[in-house]
Amino acid sequence: MRKGLIGLIVLGFAVLVIGGVVAAQETYVVASDIPWAPFEMVTANGQFFGFDLDVMRCIAIVEGFDIDIKNIAFDSIIPTVESGKADIGASGFTITAERAKSIDFSQPYYLSNQAVVIRKGSGLNIVSALAGKGPTQSVGAQNGTTGFGWAEENAIGVTVKGYEFYPTAILDLVNGRIDAVIQDEPASQSSLAAYPDKLEIAGIINTNEYFGFLVAKGDPNGLLPKINDGLAKLGLSVIDPAGGMKELVVTPGSVWDNLLKAYFGPTNDEIEAAWLASKDLLLVDKDVEGFAAKLAQEVSK
Amino acid sequence: MTGKEGLIEGIITIGRSMPILLRGIAINIELLFALLAVGLLVGTVVALLQVYGGRVLGTIAAAYAWVFRGIPAMVLLFLFYFGPSQFGLDVPPFLAATLALGFRSSAYQSQIFRGALQAIPHEQMMAARSLGMSRVRAIVSIIIPQALRLSLAGWSNEFSSVAKDTTLAYVVGLNEVLRQARIIQDRHYDLAMLAYIAVALLFLILTYSGNFGLGALERRLRIPGLGVHERGG
Repeated sequence: MRKGLIGLIVLGFAVLVIGGVVAAQETYVVASDIPWAPFEMVTANGQFFGFDLDVMRCIAIVEGFDIDIKNIAFDSIIPTVESGKADIGASGFTITAERAKSIDFSQPYYLSNQAVVIRKGSGLNIVSALAGKGPTQSVGAQNGTTGFGWAEENAIGVTVKGYEFYPTAILDLVNGRIDAVIQDEPASQSSLAAYPDKLEIAGIINTNEYFGFLVAKGDPNGLLPKINDGLAKLGLSVIDPAGGMKELVVTPGSVWDNLLKAYFGPTNDEIEAAWLASKDLLLVDKDVEGFAAKLAQEVSK
Repeated sequence: MTGKEGLIEGIITIGRSMPILLRGIAINIELLFALLAVGLLVGTVVALLQVYGGRVLGTIAAAYAWVFRGIPAMVLLFLFYFGPSQFGLDVPPFLAATLALGFRSSAYQSQIFRGALQAIPHEQMMAARSLGMSRVRAIVSIIIPQALRLSLAGWSNEFSSVAKDTTLAYVVGLNEVLRQARIIQDRHYDLAMLAYIAVALLFLILTYSGNFGLGALERRLRIPGLGVHERGG
């Protein structure tokens, strides 16, 4: 009885203290263009998940702040962060010098290359498709993406069509209106899963793009040190040799390692099922390690 | 999606995803009514100023209508949402969209109402004045009640038009129905067509209900044998 009472008082104090700490935490708005699998995804019930969003949630937990995820069109994210209407942009943004003029980037967290997707049996390859040897002499990419920029600059002799939304480019490719679609490799893999009989990856262009999270110029909320520190705590370190290419090193068995395993490789449906089975660990228990381990374990089932 | 079974399966999947679309269309409907209210209020004032406001106020009203009818809706949305934050003023997305699309609609509505005001024969004003009514009184009791009735047909056009404009609000971060449709499309690449057909049906239902309501209002407010709107009368 007495023990029970003491336990209750301790529990009460714990709730008060934790409550106080939680209430004192800052909430930052994270802007993301959802969906863009596997970085940004939505469950059937409308809950947001995906690599970027779970990484942001994990960083928020280990660094002691709260986040509020807002679904915002890709082209609008940078203006939204610039104007202070959102604090962080997390949407598979490639770090470019052009973008860095108006916003600040975190450490790189992902190395991506551009995949060229073509129709199966079209007889094209990565070179001929981009040289305009296909029937429509055109390729597609999503507006504002680095794939679109790359195509405009490098694919000579072929018309580059810009799409508002990546899946519509894929639809046009399947229907024969364009000969190829240029898009980041992970997202391309996810579209291939939708049309395994009709589409294939002709090849990869090694653009060596680093994804980064972005904040307003000058980092007014002091978020970059927290994000960078959070990335390190989750198990990602960046080796930056003078004059050489940056290298992303993942600690084996870390949260980062598990998140990579869960999000890159399995199909979207497998990822969603695994996420639904593990989400409480992240959203309720705030157990970053446990969540990532469970997620990786669930997808491998 | 191949064959009849694929189609049926697709329709079932879209049916299951309806909550996603309904969450979106709810935002379109809220925005539609908010912007129509702003448009009606401001539009009526602008039309009255343009017709009765004299040279200076009339010119200002005409310039207002010119500006807001001449700028693309998307540009207005950007200006109203991102513009004020340059001066440290934070306008929430819904308010920005309501004002941008509402002012734009008010410019169109003002022209509908102006046409209606000018369609009332000038003799009515003269008759009212000869009976001892003041100018303002004649406008309020004689001209406006008739002009509002006359405007209803034009408004039903404006209703359908702005209902569709609400789909542009995604640029300021409102997750309206077209953006919600993308969620379905990303989950099921092959159901893009069906998702857009579902959106089209939602809009047809919305515009039909609106036009039906306005038509009923028009019939209800009709005064038999009176007014210029009686066809063949």
